[in-house]
Amino acid sequence: MPKCLVCYKWTLDEQDIKIKPEDLSLDVSRAKGKISDFDRNAIEEAILLVEKDGGAVDALTYGTTSVKQSLKDALSRGPGKVYWIADASAENADGNVTAKVLAAAIRKIGPYDLILCGEGSSDQFNQQTASRLAALLELPCVSFVSKLSVAGDTVSATRKLEESQEDVTVKGPVVISVLSDINKPRIPSLKQVLGASKKPNEEIKIADLNLKPEKLLPKAVCKSVKGFVMQRKNIIYKESAAADNVAKLKASLTTEGLC
Amino acid sequence: MPGIYLFSEDVALAKQLLTPALDLKKSLNQPVTVLTVSEPDAKELSTLGADKVVILQSPNKWVDGFAEAIYKLFNDAKASILLVGGTLRGKGIASYVAAKLDAGMVTDATVLKVVDGGLLATRVLYAGLALCEEQVALPAVLTIHARTFLAPSASAVPSAIETITVEADTRVTVGTVTATGDTGVDITAAQKLVAVGRAFRKKEDLKLAEDLAAALKAELACTRGVAEDEHWLPIARYVGISGQTVKPDLYLAVGLSGQVQHMVGCRGSKVIVAINTDEHAPIFESADYGIVGDLYEVLPLLTAALRK
Repeated sequence: MPKCLVCYKWTLDEQDIKIKPEDLSLDVSRAKGKISDFDRNAIEEAILLVEKDGGAVDALTYGTTSVKQSLKDALSRGPGKVYWIADASAENADGNVTAKVLAAAIRKIGPYDLILCGEGSSDQFNQQTASRLAALLELPCVSFVSKLSVAGDTVSATRKLEESQEDVTVKGPVVISVLSDINKPRIPSLKQVLGASKKPNEEIKIADLNLKPEKLLPKAVCKSVKGFVMQRKNIIYKESAAADNVAKLKASLTTEGLC
Repeated sequence: MPGIYLFSEDVALAKQLLTPALDLKKSLNQPVTVLTVSEPDAKELSTLGADKVVILQSPNKWVDGFAEAIYKLFNDAKASILLVGGTLRGKGIASYVAAKLDAGMVTDATVLKVVDGGLLATRVLYAGLALCEEQVALPAVLTIHARTFLAPSASAVPSAIETITVEADTRVTVGTVTATGDTGVDITAAQKLVAVGRAFRKKEDLKLAEDLAAALKAELACTRGVAEDEHWLPIARYVGISGQTVKPDLYLAVGLSGQVQHMVGCRGSKVIVAINTDEHAPIFESADYGIVGDLYEVLPLLTAALRK
């Protein structure tokens, strides 16, 4: 019966981020928070495992004070308890800082048989956390997993890589990162949403993690962010007769030398 | 001895990494060492201008397990930069080494330059919505996606080749390995692509897109939903943030809305054409030409017109 921990990130919903045309800066004023997409797959996978084999699932997150908004959402997806670290250092944390903070927290609240992450976060998509965590915790890492099962202390996984699929087995404990096609995260039911407020959450103070202040300084620092704007012709044919539009498009493709 | 190290288990990508590595050598005046896991790859790589090629030899079937050996070599040499081919495996190896070094890492860097106290690298944020310039202190680890750089041309001086035996990582046992995808079809090499989205109502209807592709001499590509949710086309044809990145002359997008996660994979295309019923779909903002209309009506007409 595995004891699982899922690490998740509370990110801005990129669908609501607009690019300001005057200076290409990002307008995030309308963007709401969400649990990063792939991390929802990680939570769902842990819940599916314990529904089948028994065990327990905890969740862990590190972010700014905004992570408090995520706790109910996380708990409504199935974990029994959520640990949270809210600290200003998260504002500029790179993959290095994030992994060190999470690893230090896991040393404090662990051990766990399975530590699960999404393959990357919806905002940064650095795809570093699982592998860095494994290195810091001296555990094996099986990343980019599309199928997962546990029997006793043996974890079997199918990894989906660019040109191959790889079946691997490993004796736990292990760090896993999951792909989005491993499952379809359920939408929490009303009962789960209401039940979430009765489940425990526990704050971990960064001061209690024995990390020297310089360990919280990022080695990779964001210097500028600019919205990506494509320069396209935007010639759109929208006559009522499809045949007219098709004739015009064919003429355009001919001009471009494409047919 | 400081140095610039590079590694990719994919030899084509390892060659491409030599271009930024040799560029960095000019600025930093540090030797370039190529790490590889295969002897034939080492021979190919030794003609492209690196100072040294090192073959890591191990009975290890698990390529990811070479991470510890790469870390040790890099750390013992007190090297400054590690470039890793940005395959999924490569990203895992790079993150492992970065963690052991307590170093910063840039994922999928597209532009690199040396600045005071480190490297400045450009990469995407929010699935391609924005570009970010990130400054990373040395030692630094960077991954670079396939086809970001062209491989350099052959050099007159062959590199020295050295073989090092490394300990196997036995913690993970590799069982069956199955080749996936469309063997023989590489959509990244196609000059024209017809990309299909969820507006197709059933798999059989993709025939309309196949016919159009045949008339244009194009290959078929698709969105994540078509490949991963519907399984109508193989994953190798899926364009987007975690799929393929393509730069064809023509990208004709049919029945797909143009979400940023998809567009990041095709925005380098020379001409983008969109066919969609929804005039307000974001794909039209990213398109050079477009038709507002039902694909079930437009595609047969367009195919017939192109056949003439």
